[in-house]
Parts: sequence; structure tokens; C-alpha cells
Amino acid sequence: MDALSLENVTKAYDSVTAVNAVNLRVRQGAVLGLLGPNGAGKTTTIRMVMNILVPDEGSIRVLDKPVSDESRDSIGYLPEERGLYPRMKVRALIIFLAALHGLTEQEADKRAREWLARFDLGDWSEKKMVDLSKGMQQKVQFITAVIHKPPLVILDEPFSGLDPVNAATIKDVMLEMRDQGSTVILSTHRMEQVEKMCDSICLINHGRNVLDGDLRAIKHSYGKNTAHIEFTGSDAFLNHPSIAAINRFGSGVEAKLKPGADPQELLRAAVQSGVEISRFELLEPSLNDIFIEKTTRA
Amino acid sequence: MHKLWLIIKREYITRVKTKGFVIGTLIVPLVGVGFTLFIVYLVGHQSSKAMRISIMDNGGGIAPVVASDLQSRQSNGKPQFTVDQLIERPADANAVQKDLRAKINAGTLDGYLVIPADLSQSVELHTKNSGNFSLLGPVSSAVNEGVVEARLNARGVHVDNVRDLVKGPDLQVIKVTKEGESVEKGQTIGIAIALVILLYMSLLMYGIITMRSVLEEKTTRTMEVLISAVTPSQLLAGKILGVAGVAVTQFLIWGATIVLLGSYGVAMAAMGGAGSLLSGIHVPASLMICAVIYFFCGYFLYASMFAAVGAACSSEQDAQQLQWIAMAPLVFTMLIYSVVLNDSSSRLSVILSEVPFFGPVLMPLRVSLQTPPLWQIALSIAILLLSIAIVIFGSAKIYRVGILMYGKRPTLPELVRWLRYS
Repeated sequence: MDALSLENVTKAYDSVTAVNAVNLRVRQGAVLGLLGPNGAGKTTTIRMVMNILVPDEGSIRVLDKPVSDESRDSIGYLPEERGLYPRMKVRALIIFLAALHGLTEQEADKRAREWLARFDLGDWSEKKMVDLSKGMQQKVQFITAVIHKPPLVILDEPFSGLDPVNAATIKDVMLEMRDQGSTVILSTHRMEQVEKMCDSICLINHGRNVLDGDLRAIKHSYGKNTAHIEFTGSDAFLNHPSIAAINRFGSGVEAKLKPGADPQELLRAAVQSGVEISRFELLEPSLNDIFIEKTTRA
Repeated sequence: MHKLWLIIKREYITRVKTKGFVIGTLIVPLVGVGFTLFIVYLVGHQSSKAMRISIMDNGGGIAPVVASDLQSRQSNGKPQFTVDQLIERPADANAVQKDLRAKINAGTLDGYLVIPADLSQSVELHTKNSGNFSLLGPVSSAVNEGVVEARLNARGVHVDNVRDLVKGPDLQVIKVTKEGESVEKGQTIGIAIALVILLYMSLLMYGIITMRSVLEEKTTRTMEVLISAVTPSQLLAGKILGVAGVAVTQFLIWGATIVLLGSYGVAMAAMGGAGSLLSGIHVPASLMICAVIYFFCGYFLYASMFAAVGAACSSEQDAQQLQWIAMAPLVFTMLIYSVVLNDSSSRLSVILSEVPFFGPVLMPLRVSLQTPPLWQIALSIAILLLSIAIVIFGSAKIYRVGILMYGKRPTLPELVRWLRYS
């Protein structure tokens, strides 16, 4: 069963087509990275999944049922723009939002205490939101997104502004939820997080999905077309015709090879040029490279 | 329904717990009552000190009459005036005046009257406290009586008490209603104007509270989370009903205060105390019920418009610029209510009170002045309910689009376009 499926979904505002014939299937228990440049149509897509916006065309199914007001209770949402009632007390606020998602107040209270303890916020339960630091507020907001154990969780930049300890806790919760059968959709610009966390990705650009599927399969399809080279000496050999683009780092370079080029030829040319090579490794492209390629080519 | 209830509950509890509510509900009536009692106290005590006055009569013959008239006037059982000096036909008027002015400045005299020899000229009252209008009436009528008596004496008519001679009967206005007749002492107009102001202020206040509440959810971005749990219509309905609950609470507290005050006034009147002023105010229960019904009709009409304005804006500043859309009809009501006040059963008054945006204020006003035919009330409520349905439908659409729109303030044409979004 698919946790989420979008078929040919289109949404236009006045003259701008924000989402254009997007197709997407997310299987249950997966962690999907929803990627795309700013203004690509990610938020509009998410809002249609939440039934906040209605698509002009196409259909959306959540847990194999057409999206409806009831399907909101199956979804947990951490919006990119954070904010909760500033003058409400932390625990009361969590209970209120959990109850809105269908929990009884007793159950909501019990879970709120557990979550607050897990995030080290126990002492802050009776404080007002406005008295909390930004990181603490973010943790509270994360709790409100997952407290009702939703089968589908949509997290928009969940790690932004968090220190490594808190980020690790949130990462653990995400993986825990996945292991319990929930589906997680992670929308972020941090490609290294996507590479670490996600099984599959969906890349949206200009309202269209330009790339989607299993992350490993996608990377594999690009082949090992990048050479990571560390050396001492003149870098004249980098003019070699097999190189399409160069990305320099402090310790070496990443040379992207032209399609069909033979990396061995590049290695030979480097040795012949007289530089001392300490490392020569062939890599699959990083998600970062794929993202840049897919979003700037169009 | 459960979600709607949760939203109403949260809205109600957070509003009732605010300092603003406590101040508005408890302090305002207390201040109002305190102020009223203070005024009553002042009125009772202010005139206890008699005004010391001298009279300079350039023609002669009038001053003694004026003096005895002034000395006979009492307020709260105490004399209002004491006459210091009577100067008839002074040899040097300027010197006498200079002397009197010196006494006023020295504080031994409060004022002096100058009665000219030629009575076609004005009589002058010289006093430091020229703003005390409550003295003008007695002084003016005393002078009047002195002059009349002098003129009668000149024609050979002798009278002992001019005041009794020139006093005509009072004109008393008696209000006729279906229930019977009651003596009109200005309380009908007083109640009517108080009602208009109360309805206008309450509608405006609760409308703005609703707008602020929507705006707060938007500016704090709480909206994004809320609509992941509930529909925009549930949120809008919960908000409006929650604030309505706050209004009910406030009115109940105020109503209880008025009842307590009323019984206090009656008790004081029985003892003849200062509070007796309050006992003259009797608001019929039918009028109160009518005012409450129209308040809630007006509230639902205006609050949903204010909510839409709040949803369309992204900041307090934007909202202040856009709130005229919701406020304009209400403010306009305040400009035209005198039409109804002057003649509450004229055709124009009837038509204006049937207009849904004016009805919530104008119809209770008509009821307070003169009970209108029942069909007019029924029609206006029917028109109001229909308008509320239409306005809420439109506001919900604007709300739905607006709550997630950030950035520049929408223009009126843009708002109209939002109405057409699916």
C-alpha cells in the first residue's frame, strides 16, 4: 500500500502554475526526501496533501484513500515557518494540538509528559512558549507533529537551528517512527541529510518532478563519473579533455568526467605530468551535484 | 464537532484569562459606578457653600427685590446665596466696582451684579468663577423678577411676591406606550443614546478582538499548524463562537452589576439619599432582550468580516489600514442614527433599520423610542440572518485563502478575486 500517491497533480495561482502534473508514490515505511529549489512548488504540494489547497487537476490519495478533511488526522506536519501561540503554556499547548488531532485529553497529557521528558523540556512544561529559546520552541513544535503517532509525517527543515544533540534526537525519532511503520517525508535543502536519512527522493523544479525514485538507484544510474584526486605539484593536468567540470577543495579536486570518458586515461595523464598523487578515487555523484545539475540545466 | 468545541474552548479560556478581559469586565463597571457616585456626591456637596454676592444698582429700586429673591433660594436645604452689600445709585460707580473687584481678589466676595440704570442694557455678573453655569439660572431669574417688580411698581401695581406672579405652569411630557403612560424626564432619550453607544462600542470592540485573534495566529505562524489539524471553516467558526462566549460572559457580569445598582438606587431613593438619581433609570426587560438579540446578530455579521480582514493581512499595521472595510458600515450607523432618534417611525427610519448592517444598532434604538410593528422586527431579523449567512460564506472564502498568504496587503479587488477561488 502506498502511504501517499499523487497522480498528475496540477495547481495554478492566477497566472503562475505552482505545481504542474506531478506524479509521486511513496510506499509505507519509507523516508522520502522532497527536494527542490526555493519556489519550486514543494510547499504547495505539501498543502495539497494536507487538503489545505485543492488541486486544479489530478488526484491525491493518503493511505489509499482520497485526501479529505479526515485524512488530516493521519498526518503530522512540521511547517517550515515555525510558530505556536506564544502565550500558551507548553504542555497545555501540546495537549490542545494533540486533541485536535483526535487524541483524548488524558492520552494527550500522558504522551505530552513522555515527550517533554525525552526532549529535556520537563522543567519547562508550565512555562509560556514565548519564554522558551528558539531551539526549545522547535522541539515543542516537533512534538506536536508526531504526538498522535501519524502514519504519515511531513517535516519541513526539521533540523534547522538545532544543536547536534537535539538534531540527533530528532533523527532517532524519525527512524523510530519509520521502523514502527510510519512514512516520513523530509523536505530540506541539506543534501547530506537526505543522503544519510532517505531511501528515496523526489526532486521538484518549476512545479514539475524532474527526478524521483530510489536514492541508491538514482545515484547508481549516474555511474562513477567523478574522480576525487589528491595530489602535490602543478595542476596543469586538469586541462585534460576528459574532464567536464572541476570542483576544488582544500585538499584536492573533484573532477566530473565527460560522458564515456575513461578515468584511467586521466590517471595516466596525471602521472605523466609529474605530480605526486596521494589519492585517486572514482565516486558516484553526490546528491548535491545531482541537485545542481537537475535544477540549473532547465 | 469535537474539534470545533476544542477551538471554542481554547479561544474562550485564553480570552477570559487575559488582563484586558478582567480590566474590561470588572474595572470598567466599577469605574463607571464609582464615577457616577462621585458625581452624585459632588452635586450634593458642591452647592453647600453659598455664593457671597454684592449688588450695585445704578438705577435704584431693583436691588432689594433681587437680594431678597436670591436669599430665599435654597439648594439641598441650605441657602445658595448670601448678599454682602446693596449699593443703590452709587455716586462713583467706577470706584465702587474697583472696591468690589478688590474684595473678590481678596477672597471675601464671590461676585457682584451690576444692574444698569437703562434696563435695555445688559445686567452684568462679575465673578471669578465664570464657568459655574449652575448659578446663572437663579441669578438671571432673580434679576428678571426684580425688574418686573420695579416696572409694576412704576405703574402703580404693588405685588408681594413676583415669583409667584410670573411663574407659569411646567410643561410635562408623558410618554405613551402600549403598556401605559410614564412621565418623560429625558430618560427615553438618555437610554436610547446610551443603547446606541453601547451597541456600537461592543460591536466594534468584539469585532476587533476577533480580527486581532485571527491576526495573532497568522503573525505567529500558529495558523500553519492549526490548519494541519482542522479545516479553515472550523477554525473560523470556533474563533467567532469563542469570542461570542466571552461577550456573553462579559454581558452577564455587567447585567448583574446593573441589577445590583438598580436595587441600590431604589434603596437609596427610599432613604432619600444621593443614589436616588439612579432610580430614575428603568430599562424595560423587553428592550434588554431585544438589544442582546440584535447585538449577537450584529456581532456575527461584523465579526466574520473582521475575521476576514484579519486573515487577509500579515501585520497589525496592514490590518489597521484594511479594517475600514468592516468598520465603515458601523461608523456610518453612528452618523445616521439621529434620523431615527428624531422620528423613529418615519419611512426613512423604517428603511434604515431594515438594512442589515445598520439594523443591529438602529432597530434596538427604534424599540427603545417607540415599539415598532412586530413584522418590522421579524423582517429585520430575517434579513439579518440571511445576510449573516452570505457574509460568513464570503468571509470564510477570504479567510481560507488569506490565512496562508503572507506578504503585501491585498487590495479590495484582490479580496474580491479571492471570493472566486475554489
